[in-house]
Parts: sequence; structure tokens; C-alpha cells
Amino acid sequence: MTELTINGKRHELDVEDDMPLLWLLRDELKLMGTKFGCGIGVCGACTIHLDGKPVRSCVMPVSAARGKSITTIEGLGDGKLHPVQQAWIDEQVPQCGYCQPGHIMAAAALLESNPDPSDEEIRQGVRNLCRCGTYLRIFAAVRRAAGRAGGDS
Amino acid sequence: MSRILNLSLSRRQFIAAGAAGSLVLGFRLPLAADTGAGQSNGVLNAFVAIDPGGIITVQSPFVEMGQGIYTMMSMLVAEELGADMGSMRTVQAPPGAAYMIVREGERFTGGDESTRSAYEPLRRAGAVARHMLVQAAAGRLNVQPDTLATRGGYVVHGASGKRIAFGDLVADAAGLDVPAEVQLKSPAEFQVLRKTQARLDVPAKTDGSAVFGVDELPDNVAIAVVRQAPVFGGTVKRMRPESVTGMRGVIAVEEVPNGVAVIADNYWRAAKALDALDVEFAPGPAPHFTSEKHEQLLRGKLDTRGATAEEAGNPDGAFAGAARTLEMDYVIPFAAHATMEPMTCTALVTHDRCVVWTPNQGVDFIVYAATDVTGLPAEAVEVHTPYLGGAFGRRFMLDFPTQAITLANRHKGRPVKLIWSREEDTRHDFYRPMLAARQRAALDKDGKLIGWHSRIAGMGPYTQVFPDEVEAHGWDFSVMQGMLELPYRLPNRRMEYVHVESPAPVGFWRTTGYGPTCYFKESALDEIAHAVGSDPYEYRHELLADAKRECAVLDKAAELAGWRKKPFRKNGTRRAHGIALHNAFDSINAQVAEVSISDNGTVRVHKVYCAMDCGLALNPLNVIMQMESGIAFGLSATLHEEVVMRDGRAVPGNFHEYPILRPDEMPEVEVAIIDSGAKIGGAGEIATCPVAPAVCNAVFALTGERIRRLPIGTLV
Repeated sequence: MTELTINGKRHELDVEDDMPLLWLLRDELKLMGTKFGCGIGVCGACTIHLDGKPVRSCVMPVSAARGKSITTIEGLGDGKLHPVQQAWIDEQVPQCGYCQPGHIMAAAALLESNPDPSDEEIRQGVRNLCRCGTYLRIFAAVRRAAGRAGGDS
Repeated sequence: MSRILNLSLSRRQFIAAGAAGSLVLGFRLPLAADTGAGQSNGVLNAFVAIDPGGIITVQSPFVEMGQGIYTMMSMLVAEELGADMGSMRTVQAPPGAAYMIVREGERFTGGDESTRSAYEPLRRAGAVARHMLVQAAAGRLNVQPDTLATRGGYVVHGASGKRIAFGDLVADAAGLDVPAEVQLKSPAEFQVLRKTQARLDVPAKTDGSAVFGVDELPDNVAIAVVRQAPVFGGTVKRMRPESVTGMRGVIAVEEVPNGVAVIADNYWRAAKALDALDVEFAPGPAPHFTSEKHEQLLRGKLDTRGATAEEAGNPDGAFAGAARTLEMDYVIPFAAHATMEPMTCTALVTHDRCVVWTPNQGVDFIVYAATDVTGLPAEAVEVHTPYLGGAFGRRFMLDFPTQAITLANRHKGRPVKLIWSREEDTRHDFYRPMLAARQRAALDKDGKLIGWHSRIAGMGPYTQVFPDEVEAHGWDFSVMQGMLELPYRLPNRRMEYVHVESPAPVGFWRTTGYGPTCYFKESALDEIAHAVGSDPYEYRHELLADAKRECAVLDKAAELAGWRKKPFRKNGTRRAHGIALHNAFDSINAQVAEVSISDNGTVRVHKVYCAMDCGLALNPLNVIMQMESGIAFGLSATLHEEVVMRDGRAVPGNFHEYPILRPDEMPEVEVAIIDSGAKIGGAGEIATCPVAPAVCNAVFALTGERIRRLPIGTLV
């Protein structure tokens, strides 16, 4: 049995140690907000927080999460919208929307470690892929969430 | 009553399709006269239902794949109904004739058809519903209907100040006659349209609650993964299911069309078993196919006369009498769709029903696939369409639904969710075709363009999907589109198509033929302008003397950019502008790309200035978002994308081998919308077209080197 804390709730699970967290979240716990995009940690659609740090859950085994706290998009705002999510709405970021939970988790972590990033730090700090090309609105939303309202650069 | 344009699966087409029976497109049914009026549950017509709480639900014939169409469907209805957008919901309409509103009775989502097709019928549906609500209110208030207005979800009687909520009227209204005629507003009267409206799907797409295909969770769902024959058209030669017997979670190991599948209780367990599975594939009919050799073949074919798709004046005479001619060849490679959500389909089959939950670009196609696999009648098939995690033309194809329904059909009563790995997704796509093009220009002694000749070699998706139509024409419209009826003054011209069979399956890829033809045409125009010593912008401007709308769009893009003919220095970099224009999907788009090249040969696009005329911008912010998206998509292909084929198969698998545009590569985008008031045009695809030539033309301005083959990659 593996004990994990996910979105503040403790779970006891009978799963393999090497199962990636992504599939534990999705197929065992039916938390479907975290998305599968590449399976090799490149695209970032599966980004979650492990003790507040962004990780790519498709390549992060269950064993690495023992004793740590996992946060997914479902738990980010703790029942209400996280400021990053609100900024995402204000800037009308999503198009197809599939990669956006990963982007939001990555952006929340970025702002946690650097609350006042420069435009260049935002541009370089966003590392997830989006096929719809919503990058400009992602930059604007991060800027807005950092308290610098008025989106477009 | 239906005419299904199925592939008659000859051997050749079977190979091209990649999976048995996997490619079906284009149901054409007469539009049903039945509007479904008079039903209970607040249904006022096939498109509009209002519940007692005043929530208005619009049945969308079109899928939401990122383009914002759900919001547009609600806007069209809300405009005529007199409703607030806050009360509007859009859902996916079920299969059926009532929703076949594209062209002459089709239904699919693609080709920028949705808004153009819905503009009239969805407003009409809103106006019909409004009329019925007003009639009901007139009866209730005992006043004349023409003394009533609708506003914010109420029928309002101005004289008395009385008002009744839509929800309180809908039961009465649903029993009334459907009016034969309704008056629609003129664009000048619009209150909802032509104003930016927030997208209805954004909240669910930010809190993680939006349901995509991979998120479908019918009770007791099992997960399936596939490995497909790596060589196109290959088959399973040998498989030993016992090689994974006893692996945790594994439910079944089976053949499916085009490969093998493992079904398990968890994706990762299924994938692990698939990795361990002992399976061997037989190659298809072209095991030595390479994209390199195919390119040579295409280039060679440019020396042969093709079928004439369009001819005007006397092109041969113009070339014979020319003082000077230019010959300019270009190639675009195979490209993949690379939707962020890989191919996926969930199906449940029982003895008398089939339920399919799947991203698709036409629900009726899914019904066809389900009846084909299960033998059940169409009435027994239920299709649910979640949000699509991108599509770009890939989800027209029925290969993955056919696989999922095949598995579900064998495991009756148990839903099966098929999810392709990223590698399968890239290696078993229906690719944007590789094409080679030759552009020839005839110039007189003064450098005036007196003759134009385009010849494109390759094969488009129409050859697979509409073989009869292609044969009847003698050429493939999905290759030539964008090279026909050009706005430029080219009195002596011929456009030719040379058919070259593609051993790799090809499909519809955002813009289909319009993107490639824009690259060929606008690169050539740039070369001609430079050859005669003209400014590439002014040269186009002169050739557009007969095309006022195009000219205005071109001028606007140049104005936004502060067009510079020569390279210039800005923010410590040496930059240049490149310009391109295109007509597609009844819209006109021009872009100026501002480009620099770093010391290591990386092409950096700093900014794209984009002018857009789609007749009326019905949701201006969404038009801008589609410009940004289209530019990103086009730039991705321009800089990076190529599916190399070797040993009869696609080589790249995951994103490290098939890179798409990264965030740090995204240029700034400035958009100017020109509301010309012309017929409504599409906005979802056109912006992808001008990017490649605009960027390549800027590279030429910087280096004097012409980019004759995409992707640009790194300059040496």
C-alpha cells in the first residue's frame, strides 16, 4: 500500500511503485484534469505540483511522491479560483484547452518561485507546449496574475 | 436517401488510408424541413430550447475544437432572440438531418465552414423562437405582438412596463405554430454580434472540469492502447498474447484494424504490456518508400505537363514572346497534425445499442463507423462529442473510432476507451502531403509581368476521399485551392496539377491546399519583384489594381508594420520585413513578418503584423485569437515541421523528434480587422497561410538566400 496526499486528502492505494503519477491520478483516482500529451515529460500537459514544485507527472513515479503533497488542477484554488486561473479567464487564454491545466499549474509554480517576473523571464519561464498557439495570452495572463494588469505586450 | 462518399476500398486506396475502412467523409443528406417545433421540454426548434429557469440551450451542428464555435452558435441565437450571453449554453447536437446545414445538406466541422454555414440558419432559429415567445406573451398580456420587444431574456411591453421572462413563456410558446417567415436584423442593428463576447468554454477550460475525449468515464471503462503496423499498409504477421499473460491489469490482447491492442484497467499497465508484447508486423506494399526519394520524384514530375485547373488568356504566347522568364521551384514536406490530445475514442456496444464518446469532426461519420463495425442500424447508435483537444483536420478520419468500436463490439457491455500514444499518433497520421511546385513568370522588356504559370505535383486528400470528383475534374482541388482565381492581375496564366501517388496517407491539415499554395505563390511574387527591382509590397499593390478589398488588406498590413523595403536595425538586431497576402475561405489576410537571424543561423520572428478581412468580424476578440493561433501554427510548420519517411514508415515519434513551436519562439502579433461588410468569411485557418512566405521573404531580404523548401530549420 502506498500512502499519498493529493489535494490535501490522504489516499491509500495499491499500485506499483513505478506507475507514473499521471496514470495514478487519472485511471485510479479519476482526477481527469491532468492531461496526457506525450508520456516523456516534454510537453507539460501533465504538470502537477509536488510539495509546491512543478513536475511532469507522466514521468514521475508514485515512489517519488511518498511523504509529499500532490496538488492537481482540481486542488489548485482550494475550492475557488486561484489568481492564475482568474487571470486565464480575464485574458481569454484557452482555445482547445487541452494543455491549459498544465500551463496553469506551471504558471502558478513559476509565480510562487518568482512573484514578479520580467517579461523576458515569463517568456523563458513558460516551457509547456500549446498547439493552438495561445502563448501570447499565456504570457499576458502570467503578467496579470503577477499583479501587472493590462495584458498585451 | 443518403449519399455516402465512402472510399471504395481498392487496394491502392486501402494502402493510402492506412487502416481498413477508416476513411469516410461527406454525408450529403437533404436538409430536413422538420424543425422539431411543438415538442415539450422547452424545445422551440431543432436549435433552441429554453428551460423554465431561462437557460437557453443551443444545439450546435459543429464541434468545439478550440476555434470558439460554441460561443458563436450561442451568439447567433442570442442576437435574434434578445437574450443575454450569460443565459446561453451550447451543446453538441445529436446526429441527424436537421443539423446538416453545411453547403447543400452536409455536416462536418472544418474548412472554415461553421460560422459561414450557421450565420443565417442559427439567427433564423433565434428569430423563430423569439417570434413564438412574443406570440405567447401577447396572449398572456392581451396586447398586440408588435407592441412587444425582447431584451435580456424577457419579452417586454414598453407601454405598460410589464415584462415576462422567457422561461415563464416557453411552455405556451412550444405549442404555437412555427412562423413561416421571420425578419432578421441587419448587421447595423446587431447588439451581440460584432462585439467581443467572452468565450463560454473558457471557465471549464481553466478549472480542469472541461471533459475531453480522454476524460470520458463511463462506468467500468477499460483502457486500450495500440501498436500499429509501422510500415504504411502493413499487417500483423505474428502475435503471441501469452507473452503478456499474467501482467497486472491486462484484460485482453487482440488484433484491431491496422495493428494490435492491449486492453487493461489502466493506461500505464496497458502500455507496459504492449511494450512487452511479442508481435511482428509484415511490411506494406511500399517498404522502401522514403520521403527523400519521393521528393526527387515530385521534383522530376515538374518537367511534365499536368492537368489544367485554370487557364486564361494566352500563357504560351506570353512565354514565347517574353524578354525574360523566371523559373522558381519550391517544396513542402509531409507534416503531422500533432494535436495535444492524442487520438482517442470510447465505445460501448450491447446487443442492441452502440454508444460512442469521441472527438470527431462530424458525428454522422461516427454513426457510419459504428454501423459498419457492429451491424446495428443507425438509430441504435448514440454519439457524444466532448471538447476536442485540437483537431486541425485529423479527426475527420475514422481509423481510431473504428479500432475502439471494434474492441467494444467484442467486449459487449464493457466500455472501452482507446488512447493512442504520442508515438502512434505521429507515425500514423494522415499527413499534410508533400508537394513540389514550379512557378514560372514571363516578363516583357520593361519587366512587366505578362505571363504566369504554376505547376504543382503531388496528391491531396480529395484523391483519397472524393476520388470520383477528382477523376471527373482531372485534378485535385485540395492541392490547387489557393492558386485559382487569384486577385492579382495575371491576364495570361495557366495552373496545372500533376498527379503523383503518395505511398504515405495524406489528409486535411489546417488550410489543406491554401497554405502550400500561398507559400508557392507569394514566394514567387517576391522573387519576381526583386528580379525587376521593385519593392515587394508596392509590386503586389500594383498587381492588385482590380482588387480593392485585397489591396486594402495588403495596405493595412504594410501600414501596421511601417513597411520597410530594406533591412533595418532595431533593439540591437538586424531585421527585415517580408510580406504576403492570401485569399481563402471567403476571407483575405495579409501579413508582414519582422525577422532577424541570430549568429548561429536561428531564424527569429519578432512580430507579425496581420490584417484581416472576413467580411464582418462577428466576435472580434475571437478573430484576433484565431489570427494568433493561425500564425503560431503556420510558423511552427515554417520553422520546424517535417515528417521524414524512411523504410516505408514515418520516422519521428514524440515531440523531441517532431518539434512544434515553443513558447519562446512565439512572435508578437498585432491584428487589424477590416470590417468590409462583405460576405462572411472564415477566420480559423487563413492566418496559417501567409506566415511561411512572409517569413521566407524576410529571410531573403536579410540574406539574399531564397528558402525553396520548408521547414527552414537552421540556416547555415
